[in-house]
Amino acid sequence: MKKHISAICVLMLLFAATVNAQVERNEGIIWSSLRGLEYEVKAGFNIGGTAPVPLPREIRSIDGYKPTLCLSVEGNVIKWFGVEKKWGMILGLRVENKGMETKATVKNYSMEIIGTGGEKLKGNWTGGVQTKVRNTYFSIPVLASYKLNNRMSFSAGPYVSFLTNGDFSGYVYDGYLREINPTGTKVEFKDDNRASYDFSDNLRTFQCGVQVGTKWRAFKHLDVCADLTWGLSDIFQKDFDTVTFAMYPIYLNVGFGYAF
Amino acid sequence: MKIRSVIACFLLCLPLLSCIQSEAPNAEADILTCSVSGNVLKAEPEIENESITLIVRSDADITKLSPEFTLTPGATISPASGTTFDFTTPHTYVVTSEDRNWNKTYVVRCIVSGISTDYHFETITLEPKNERFQIFYDLSSSGDAVNWGSANAGYALTGVPKSPTDYPTSQFADGYVGKCAKLVTCSTGSLGSLVGMYIAAGNLFIGTFDASSALTNALKATRFGRPFEHVPTYLSGYYKYKPGEEFTSKGKLVPGKEDQCDIYAIFYETDENVRYLDGTNALTSPNLISVARISNQQATDEWTHFYIPFVARPGKVVDKEKLKNGGYQLAVVFSSSIRGDYFEGAVGSTLYIDEVEVIHSENE
Repeated sequence: MKKHISAICVLMLLFAATVNAQVERNEGIIWSSLRGLEYEVKAGFNIGGTAPVPLPREIRSIDGYKPTLCLSVEGNVIKWFGVEKKWGMILGLRVENKGMETKATVKNYSMEIIGTGGEKLKGNWTGGVQTKVRNTYFSIPVLASYKLNNRMSFSAGPYVSFLTNGDFSGYVYDGYLREINPTGTKVEFKDDNRASYDFSDNLRTFQCGVQVGTKWRAFKHLDVCADLTWGLSDIFQKDFDTVTFAMYPIYLNVGFGYAF
Repeated sequence: MKIRSVIACFLLCLPLLSCIQSEAPNAEADILTCSVSGNVLKAEPEIENESITLIVRSDADITKLSPEFTLTPGATISPASGTTFDFTTPHTYVVTSEDRNWNKTYVVRCIVSGISTDYHFETITLEPKNERFQIFYDLSSSGDAVNWGSANAGYALTGVPKSPTDYPTSQFADGYVGKCAKLVTCSTGSLGSLVGMYIAAGNLFIGTFDASSALTNALKATRFGRPFEHVPTYLSGYYKYKPGEEFTSKGKLVPGKEDQCDIYAIFYETDENVRYLDGTNALTSPNLISVARISNQQATDEWTHFYIPFVARPGKVVDKEKLKNGGYQLAVVFSSSIRGDYFEGAVGSTLYIDEVEVIHSENE
């Protein structure tokens, strides 16, 4: 169902872009074209995960994964160099969601829950952990582009992201906590017994990463694009050590582009 | 076509990048079970996180006991399980985890003679290792320390208390005679309300507290009773009580309602299925022989005497032989909020208890 909705959204965006394109290229675009400049708008969705790499030893199994609907809208300026216009440079602006929901089983995973009044419950958890991530970013990619032929091109380069809205929350279930360390008091969680956590306020605002992608010109103005974005900075703030391992957003963006 | 293959590629790559690593060896170092061969024990061994209490028959020879243990898989114990010791004094065992990074010291001791019947609340010890809260204990006639149970270990999880006197159950200097026990209904803070446990009533009882079920089933965490070789007749003692200001039920204010304390003692029979009573059935179990429960409790600034008869449940007879062999158990229970086990009560309700005695057929 979600896939259908996203497909419809993408089609509607394209339709809007196509209608716009009926208007004859204005002089500005012709001017730009002469100087090797190209403009493009893209719409797509992100599928992937915010995860530790590699998975730490404490994670014993991934029991569930839901990609959730994460859309992106992007505007790009491409400058092609030289006579052949083989190589180029892309500067973009992207608004995107990156999110997922997972359920995992962990063993002896060191954790700390902090209450609103500053109360701390520290210990080692063995059992289920449900995690929901939904972050909205404002990203700027700066990429090198290589045109293989008239239809196919590749791009790669770094990007920076600014978090505008973040949600990283979940709960632990079906398992037990050893208070303080593995020899501490054992406290079981069973059935509907859950302890929720919310680390949304501990997310890092400024993040960076790299991305590689490919673009295939399906029609005169229409591109089909796929980009893999790989975060290189931990999504959490430096001084936040409740989650003992670094987590990185790794998402594949698939979408369509309209080139003017 | 193109996109599909790209996605397929990506999804195929993901598991490679994020392989599940091989499982780490266990870090826990628990004694899971304890058994002693022969007809030596009067009750199930009380296994707590750092101690084991063996309640043995009065005619048992404890100079040669060989307790056997089962441990967390992969863990080792020293001295070895099954080693024979003289248990007239407690023995210490060290359990080391499979990953060799953690070890835990257990004190294993025996209680030979019957538990004492008068309680002065003068003697306390701190929680083993972390020393965060106080534990009341009495000395039996043969000098064995017998601990009182309380939910302090559960309260430790809330992260609220900063010192031993911040806990719901602690010692207080100003008793009827010497020191006394002070039970206070406390707020459990944001972590407690997160799991629907808004308050923690101060409680003190003969028995043990099983912290592992403190969150899943709080009523089951309080295990009441120890073997008792007499037929109790009266429960006497002194109390002071001050109810807290605002009565809440499951976190919601109940205007106009006043909190009450609870003082009771139960005497019950154990059998194959019922090894102990807990918060779910302490006053309702068909195994109950008699119950002494305060009925006219009130708010009072003065030390107030109580003298409550054990009222027999209809049709119950006590088997002399079974009594001698530890087939009956006694629990004395105090709480600063009578409905505290259902998370109903007023924060600040304070019950002081001192000079309690269980009067029975032989000391009357």
